[in-house]
Amino acid sequence: MSGVNLSGIVKAYGALQVVHGIDLTVAEKEFVVLVGPSGCGKSTTLRMIAGLEEITDGDLTIHDRRVNRVAPKDRDVAMVFQNYALYPHLNVADNMAFGLRIRKMPKAEIKTTIADVAEILGLTPYLDRRPADLSGGQRQRVAMGRAIVRHPKVFLFDEPLSNLDAKLRTQMRAEIKRLHNRLGVTSVYVTHDQVEAMTLADRIVVMNDGRIEQVGTPMELFNNPANTFVAGFLGSPPMNQMKGMLTETGAKIGDAEIKINGAVAGHAGRDVIVGIRPEHVTLSDEGQSSALPISLDLVEPLGSEALLHARHGEDTLVFKADTNGDIAHLSGVGAVHVPSHLVKLFDAETGRALNLGT
Amino acid sequence: MVDENTNAGGQPLEEALIKAREAQRRVTDGRWVRLFDHFKREWQIYAMLLPTIIWFVVFLYKPMYGLQIAFKDYSIFRGVADSPWIGWEHFQTLFANDQFIRAVRNTITISFYNLLFGFPAPIILALMFNEVMHATYKRTAQTIVYLPHFISSVIIAGIVITAFSPTAGIINTFIGWLGFDPVYFLTQPQWFRPIFVGTGIWQEAGFGSIVFLAAIAGVNPSLYESAVVDGANRWQMMWKITIPSILPTILIMLIIRIGNVMEVSFELVILLYQPSTYETADVVNTWIYRQGLQSGQYDLAAAAGLFNAVVAFVLVMTANTLSRRFSRTSLW
Ligand SMILES: Nc1ncnc2c1ncn2[C@@H]1O[C@H](COP(=O)(O)OP(=O)(O)OP(=O)(O)O)[C@@H](O)[C@H]1O
Ligand SMILES: [Mg+2]
Repeated sequence: MSGVNLSGIVKAYGALQVVHGIDLTVAEKEFVVLVGPSGCGKSTTLRMIAGLEEITDGDLTIHDRRVNRVAPKDRDVAMVFQNYALYPHLNVADNMAFGLRIRKMPKAEIKTTIADVAEILGLTPYLDRRPADLSGGQRQRVAMGRAIVRHPKVFLFDEPLSNLDAKLRTQMRAEIKRLHNRLGVTSVYVTHDQVEAMTLADRIVVMNDGRIEQVGTPMELFNNPANTFVAGFLGSPPMNQMKGMLTETGAKIGDAEIKINGAVAGHAGRDVIVGIRPEHVTLSDEGQSSALPISLDLVEPLGSEALLHARHGEDTLVFKADTNGDIAHLSGVGAVHVPSHLVKLFDAETGRALNLGT
Repeated sequence: MVDENTNAGGQPLEEALIKAREAQRRVTDGRWVRLFDHFKREWQIYAMLLPTIIWFVVFLYKPMYGLQIAFKDYSIFRGVADSPWIGWEHFQTLFANDQFIRAVRNTITISFYNLLFGFPAPIILALMFNEVMHATYKRTAQTIVYLPHFISSVIIAGIVITAFSPTAGIINTFIGWLGFDPVYFLTQPQWFRPIFVGTGIWQEAGFGSIVFLAAIAGVNPSLYESAVVDGANRWQMMWKITIPSILPTILIMLIIRIGNVMEVSFELVILLYQPSTYETADVVNTWIYRQGLQSGQYDLAAAAGLFNAVVAFVLVMTANTLSRRFSRTSLW
């Protein structure tokens, strides 16, 4: 049984089509994260699952039941909104009870459910408070509590952490993950923060411009991005991408040449985009690597690592290097070494990943 | 002893005291300087405030000088300042006057009905508009209900008088069709209040709904979306989200309304009442108008006006305090 299934989902506002046919299956208990740049249609897709937006075309099933024309309340989904959507005139307990009261759950049952969930979320001391008297993190937790008490088949999250500061976001991220492990409810989570996507997801769906670019586990997407868009979207800093041309043994980038593992032979002369992850390079030759000369612009220390902002010909590049407690030795760097088995190749025209038979 | 006062131990203490006092003085100076700086920086904003302030001074504060005639035996020839003081005499006269007592009672009764029917009307209207989905229909309906507000009271009264006329009025024509005798609505005291309150609602409910529509528009739309996912229907959303969300606005409008309880729409009463309906229609302001301006008893009228103002003041203060205590909402 699949938790949520989208097939050929299209959304159009009048003549303007914003989601162009999405196919996606979310397994039961799976945590899927939709990620992509602003305006790519993540929220729209989520809201179609919730029933807040009409589906223009395609089929949506939840637990194998087609729900295109089913009212939101009968889809058995719960949604957590970016701005929490808490009722300002109700206290925490009443906010959480709202959906249950609407569904006419017996009073005693409501009370125990809320007590349980409040306990899980650490909200017990705040049950009598109004949302205005809570911190951002607590409000966020109430919003989650309101979804949890309903015991829905599917949780839908629309950027639930984006109103929190960085530290709290990290904390709540872990909390959401723990909750999911504990409750095991099918979840679809929208974010434009790739770190959130990487850390939370069983599988990530990278969207762009109303289409799915790639679906896979975080590490699949990270290690084998299907195209330059995904490569540039995941990872921080993202993958360096340089125009190059294949040779018999590697690729020529400007006046430098780097070796690449795999069957590049026979493709010499082909225009490609060469992708190198910032953290994959080393400062000294560790074998099986080739030097890429760079001119260093700036060294940004992050603590144990430093970011090297550099240039090679026309390309601006970012690399990561260990500081070993000092950045003095980084200022003189004139070349980085690119391990030949970690170089990614993409078609220069389509941007698709090239697999030349490694 | 003398030595002790001027010794090394005493000096720092005294010095500290002086410094403390000085510091305090500097803070006060600072405040004035800051205020001055503030005016200098923001003078454009204060300049924009000026016309309103001038209006208040000229039309509301300056006339207050004349209020003293409520306690004087005023004569136009002597002027305000030179008329002799007579204490509470006018007030005693007022409360011994049956017509004044009747006017007070009428004012309160009409205000009560106004509050009871007239206050909820724009709220209900706004809630109803909020449920209308068809944009063109909504806009047309809104325009129609706003219109009477922009028509002068004289014309409004003209329309009402015509509509209720026993000979040609649409209402009596209708009653005639049903086979009944025409009713002389505007000359019968028992009809004055319903007609007056109804006219007020017709004239102002639409325009008054704008405030509430604005408040409704300010409600976070995701509250409704969240409620939809939770399974609430439109009726539940209205009761559990819309109304509680606009409650602060409702309370503020209610406080303002209570403050105006004594100010029953004076023009409309003047235009609609006649001696045969004084019994239910004569309110404090119309009584003041007749006594003060028509009979020339300015001092007695001023006393009645002052009474009106004091009652209104007490009502606003009370309503505001109650509202602040019970709902955390208040005018100030
Ligand atoms: N009511 C609407 N009418 C027309 N276009 C709309 C409407 N709502 C959304 N859109 C368009 O649909 C596209 C997708 O919007 P959506 O809200 O799904 O983006 P998103 O991926 O959630 O972005 P963000 O990260 O900024 O939240 C956008 O280009 C947006 O302009
Ligand atoms: Mg969005």
